[in-house]
Amino acid sequence: MPSLAYPVPTDLSPATVKNTASLFRIVTLALISGAAIASRLFSIINYESVIHEFDPWFNYRATRVLAAKGFYEFWNWFDPTAWYPLGRVVGGTVYPGLMATSGVIYYILQALNLPVDIRNICVLLAPGFSALTAWATYMFTKEMKNESAGLLAAAFIGIVPGYISRSVAGSYDNEAIAIFLLMFTFFLWIRALKQGSALYGTIAAVFYFYMVAAWGGYVFITNMIPVHALVLILMGRFSHRLYVAYCSWYAIGTLASMQVPFVGFQPVSTSEHMGALGVFGLLQIVAFIELVRSHVSSQNFQRLLRVFLVATGLLGASAFVFLTYNGKIAPWTGRFYSLWDTGYAKKYIPIIASVSEHQPTAWPSFFMDLQMLIFVFPAGVIMCFRELRDEHLFVIIYSVMASYFAGVMVRLMLTLTPVVCVASAIALSTLLETYINPVEPDAAVEVVEPKQTNGETTAAAAPSTPAGKKAKKPAAAAAAAPTSALSELVAVSSGKKTASSRGIFGLDTRIVVVLNTLWMLFFFVFHCTYVTSTAYSSPSVVLASQGPDGSQHIIDDFREAYYWLRQNTPEDAVVMSWWDYGYQIAGMADRPTLVDNNTWNNTHIATVGKAMSSSEENAYPILRKHDVDYVLVIFGGLIGYSGDDINKFLWMVRIAQGVWPDEIQESNYFTPRGEYRVDDNASKTMRESLMYKMSYYRFADLFGGNQAVDRVRNQQAPKNIELDYLDEAFTSENWIVRIYEVRKEDILGRDLKSANAFEKGKKRKRSKPITSRRRALAA
Amino acid sequence: MFSLRRWCLLALSLAGVLVDAKSSTGDSVLVVVDPAQQDNYSIFFNGLKDQGYELTFRSPKVEKPVIIEDNVSNFAHVILLAPEAKNLGKDITPQSIVELLSLKTNVVVALPTKQSPLHALAAEFSLILPPPGSPLISYSPKRDTPSTLIPISVEDHSSPVLTKHIRPVWFSGIPQALGNNPLLIPILRAPAESFASEVTVTSGSAEALVDAAEKGGEGLWAGSSLSAVTGFQATNGARITFVGGAEVFSDELAQKEAEQYVQSGNIDFVKEVAAWTFQENLVLRIEKVEHHLVNGTEPKETYTINDNVEFSAYISKWNPAKGEWQPYSGLKDLQLEFTMLDPFVRTALPPVNGAPGKYSTAFRAPDRHGVFKFVINHKRKGWSFLESSTTVPVVPPRHDGYPRFLSAAWPYYAGAISTSVAFFLFSTIWLAGEARDSKKGKAAKSE
Amino acid sequence: MKGLFSSLFLCLGLVYAQQDSLKKLTELAAAGNGVIHLDSQSFDLLTSPKRTWSASIQFTALSKNRNCVPCKEFDPAFSTVGKAWSSVQASDRDQHFFATLDFDNAPNVFQKLSLASAPVVFAYPAADGPRKPASGRTAPTKYDFQDGFDAGPLAQHLSKFTPVPIPYKAPIDWAKWFTTAIAIIGVGSFLRLAAPVVFTRWTWAFGSVIVMLIMTGGYMFTRIRGVPYVGRDGNWIAAGFSNQYGQEVHVVAFVYGLLAFSFVMLTLIVPYQTSPAKQRMQVYLWGAVVIIIYSVLVSLFRVKNRGYPYKLLL
Repeated sequence: MPSLAYPVPTDLSPATVKNTASLFRIVTLALISGAAIASRLFSIINYESVIHEFDPWFNYRATRVLAAKGFYEFWNWFDPTAWYPLGRVVGGTVYPGLMATSGVIYYILQALNLPVDIRNICVLLAPGFSALTAWATYMFTKEMKNESAGLLAAAFIGIVPGYISRSVAGSYDNEAIAIFLLMFTFFLWIRALKQGSALYGTIAAVFYFYMVAAWGGYVFITNMIPVHALVLILMGRFSHRLYVAYCSWYAIGTLASMQVPFVGFQPVSTSEHMGALGVFGLLQIVAFIELVRSHVSSQNFQRLLRVFLVATGLLGASAFVFLTYNGKIAPWTGRFYSLWDTGYAKKYIPIIASVSEHQPTAWPSFFMDLQMLIFVFPAGVIMCFRELRDEHLFVIIYSVMASYFAGVMVRLMLTLTPVVCVASAIALSTLLETYINPVEPDAAVEVVEPKQTNGETTAAAAPSTPAGKKAKKPAAAAAAAPTSALSELVAVSSGKKTASSRGIFGLDTRIVVVLNTLWMLFFFVFHCTYVTSTAYSSPSVVLASQGPDGSQHIIDDFREAYYWLRQNTPEDAVVMSWWDYGYQIAGMADRPTLVDNNTWNNTHIATVGKAMSSSEENAYPILRKHDVDYVLVIFGGLIGYSGDDINKFLWMVRIAQGVWPDEIQESNYFTPRGEYRVDDNASKTMRESLMYKMSYYRFADLFGGNQAVDRVRNQQAPKNIELDYLDEAFTSENWIVRIYEVRKEDILGRDLKSANAFEKGKKRKRSKPITSRRRALAA
Repeated sequence: MFSLRRWCLLALSLAGVLVDAKSSTGDSVLVVVDPAQQDNYSIFFNGLKDQGYELTFRSPKVEKPVIIEDNVSNFAHVILLAPEAKNLGKDITPQSIVELLSLKTNVVVALPTKQSPLHALAAEFSLILPPPGSPLISYSPKRDTPSTLIPISVEDHSSPVLTKHIRPVWFSGIPQALGNNPLLIPILRAPAESFASEVTVTSGSAEALVDAAEKGGEGLWAGSSLSAVTGFQATNGARITFVGGAEVFSDELAQKEAEQYVQSGNIDFVKEVAAWTFQENLVLRIEKVEHHLVNGTEPKETYTINDNVEFSAYISKWNPAKGEWQPYSGLKDLQLEFTMLDPFVRTALPPVNGAPGKYSTAFRAPDRHGVFKFVINHKRKGWSFLESSTTVPVVPPRHDGYPRFLSAAWPYYAGAISTSVAFFLFSTIWLAGEARDSKKGKAAKSE
Repeated sequence: MKGLFSSLFLCLGLVYAQQDSLKKLTELAAAGNGVIHLDSQSFDLLTSPKRTWSASIQFTALSKNRNCVPCKEFDPAFSTVGKAWSSVQASDRDQHFFATLDFDNAPNVFQKLSLASAPVVFAYPAADGPRKPASGRTAPTKYDFQDGFDAGPLAQHLSKFTPVPIPYKAPIDWAKWFTTAIAIIGVGSFLRLAAPVVFTRWTWAFGSVIVMLIMTGGYMFTRIRGVPYVGRDGNWIAAGFSNQYGQEVHVVAFVYGLLAFSFVMLTLIVPYQTSPAKQRMQVYLWGAVVIIIYSVLVSLFRVKNRGYPYKLLL
């Protein structure tokens, strides 16, 4: 009898243990899914069932079109109201996966006579898929270590804020389904690699296609898997399993991905995808050489082969470079390139740099999103290094790359989160298994025989193989993936030196560590709940403010203003606003917009920026040329809503400057001291700019005689601003949204400034006729 | 006695001249005139009445009837014939007159010599009036009338407004210098010898000329670049006419001989002016526009790039005599633009012979998708403006709208087909050959 | 007529005046090898409203007692660009002048332009003659140091005002190349010698874990935003949730590393400890480390995120 730290029931039949274990597993998974879905419903409970911030509004609109008109109409959808007057070929410029998914769900429910509103499907899609993500992560981690680790990982991914931030109910964005597809594709890849099965490789390719159709981030997979394969080759771990898995995945996956209209021929023509192609070629060469090697035995011929291998590799690389310079292969796209050269975006593509989720990540947001996992997962990576199987390499590479990307862009935290969950799950489960394992290490070697029986009985737990076999083939035991506590116990009791030489003495130590870990896990749960409920659940369409007495006060200006537009303006009235609000205007107000959040046309956006940042009389021709009827600005000065247009103004100026460097200069908008001010010290250009005037028009009147204060900038707001070319049409309750109507030209052909002066009854100075003599002189 | 005969003659001639002509925008006319002087303009007023206008008279003093009620004008046309009045009542300010125009009410304004609010009004139409109290003066031709009463001879087609021959017109009042506003239409030019200056007790004011000459012509209001009667058509089609002085309308000048035994042209002239201002003459409108594919009839709400589109517009002209709109094919310079931000297509829109009033053209839509507009923008001096804009999106071909089975693509087809065939053959052979293969392998090993 | 003649004379006179002031400037430029060192009246000469030439002027304060660090940083860049400009052929070169104005030589100019800070670079386009810009905008434009004090961007920017682009080439940094070459060779030889060490998995494990820790410590943030290592007021924690200083990277990475390390110890090393007493000691030790460091981390986080409700031991 090995000394056990605490008694273990020895009279359990193998079947019972096996079944209870699997039952527990299923129940736990179900509970985890429940938790994952429930924790994403805060936004509905705190606010209401509404689509969140910006992009989701477009996805929602597109989905409605899909549900109403069917897939082909959606594919051919040309939206004349977006990017007026250029229009947008939506079918060809969108990742249809998300819309297709909810469209299919919608049709199925209709077929089942369940009349569910398409909006609710869209709102609840993300939570639903988060449950699937948990399951996918479970499968993935199971491939890495074992079921228990898988369950831990599933629990983590279920509630970790880093993932919740993009998948709360109502945030109907591509990421909602993309993370599930990411994890599941990776799982299938690992499975295919382990078993060397073309079937799993093909399934992986199919899900890869789904991923491509769903999210631009598929490029991550497209590079992650080849890197994994490449590393395996370099480590001399080439195997036919790898060959089969990769080739089946790449061939089918690439062909499939080229069917997505928005992707088209990129997989064979852009640099992002060249890595995959290169590795594919390399694999062929290596496989060929392996083949020749296995038939030829001459020493120096093999050396020749090596040279050949290296030469071909170099040749391929140089060919790639050559083609890139000839423009046959498009170089890195800006978004992708800015990941490597971090200064690139700000200098050349300000639109990308201006997006808040493209900012670099400071450490607090890492901790906010991942809490304890952030420091547990290095440990997990170490564990992966300990038993360095092929799939562990994947986790290692993934962690290193993803942590770099997450550092560069906040939004890529999303790709880091899954691997963090997996790695820390591995670490924690190893820890717990070590400390829950009841076997004391001082195994008395002389009493091996009687132990056998005990071994037999307890071996029950080991999922499939009876302990006897194990005892004979310890190697097999070690290799077998599931090394649950009880099977280790078996290994120990069957007198394996390796196993018995390690372990924990005493009960207190176990209790200390286990309690410590449990306590951390509990803290983690509290943290996640807190962060989710407070930080990540607000739908930025509806704002909430705490009254002094702690009462919640809902600020609904956006919808108020958008519905005003919908009710009070003609169908074809063109609304100009900064691009952040394009999708919302299209979605809620259903009016044509000049620019929106899919920022495909820099010049058009720069035009809007120019109109906003130049003076009235300069802006007016631009507005008329684009048939603008209404101009919409966001102004937070009254209630201190900091995300307003004055704070984004400098980006408009920069983007406009990029296109018209000699008409718009950023430096003109600063005070001589180089400050960005809105009060009376503001620079002349600033004070005359359209955006400034529209923001502060009649603002001072609110305060009667008192000092008007902008509560975002904490500066005095300017007084008596006059608008000659625009009329104030609407201002929302808290002044967040202000809408102005663009005046038509004067019927007498005067410029509107003097027309206005005449209306106000101002005298204009008498002018004399130009006599013919003077005219002659002048000529 | 003699005068009496002339009276009758005049009456007859009037009767002959008079035809019942209608305005295209309405017959209600408000005349603001000093009741004392009302009879001085009887010929003009009777002429209007006989044309079928309902004249409402209003004294500058009183405020009834009101012109604008709740942003609606009570009258189709307004005549301000009380130039010398201090003010024309509270509700007739320069601002309100501009508002009248914006409500598509047509206005005839007789300008005063003295300073008055109407000067401010004229300035808004970029008319520049001489300093107060300086009427138009001319010493030639030599005549017995005062130098401020000038016979102006009108040559035909000097202005698009004057459609028929006009005998010389007696003018007395102030000239207007024209600013550079394309909407201005000079109707009656001042004679080349005339100039504007203060009238002194002695005949005329040669001094004015002299010291003006000293100043090198500085501020001298002289010559045929000045205009005595000026029309203005606002962009919304409303028309306003500034007449240098009210006397042009007066009976006295109407009956005064221009030359020996030659009746003056004032009657016809004012009639022409009124006819133009009150939207009788040179009034066009676009009845409807339609567009469809060249070999189609139904208008489509979206066109595909490179479609051949046919666009046609129906234009009609107001016939004052009949008082109805009639199809009009007279325009030779009508243009059509197909624009998105900038015109992608600009082509002539010629009249279709055989179809009166129909203008039509066909063109190929540009190879560029977007939201395009069919734009007609026809602005000619004197004529009412023709403006029309029809929005239609031009979309790329549908997914199945592209040509298929190109002969140029056969290499690719062949490649695809051969690959699939090869794959099929390979797999069948391989599957079939499996067993033997392995056996052979065994055999090889055993040996 | 008279007026006409007089004006004609005036023009001619002006032309001559321009001619010789141009000559003077050229000499000055030659003297200061490409960069004119201005005082107040030569400044007025250079920026005269009738100038047919363009100029780029650096306003700086280089004297010791002003101790303006950025001025000293920027000055060499400006002078190198000026030097590069002096190498183009004379016909073009004399169309555009590089000049520098030190505060101590002409404080009144600083007041006139109401310049409160230095260094500042103004580009004066030609106000007259053939090279007057079509837009007619002859007001000087300021160079905003968006791309730092490097000479390359400066030359690129100023080339918009010169008749021909400034032939500025970044000097080849031999030292850099040399060091990299040395490094490569060194690494290569090192690999040869220490191959058995380098190619052990634990070396790689160490390396990758370090990378991960640094990155999750917010290193890229400091790189991209170029934040200082510590704040001006000496404290090393930047206020605000989405902001941090360079030192925080090290501290946070160290804390993470320590916690991860204690986990690794508990999992991998401790179980191999054969003597119960020692093992128990280690278990308690690492447990304590985890608890304490973790609560330190949380309190650190509370500093960054004031609203955070939870706290551990401290």
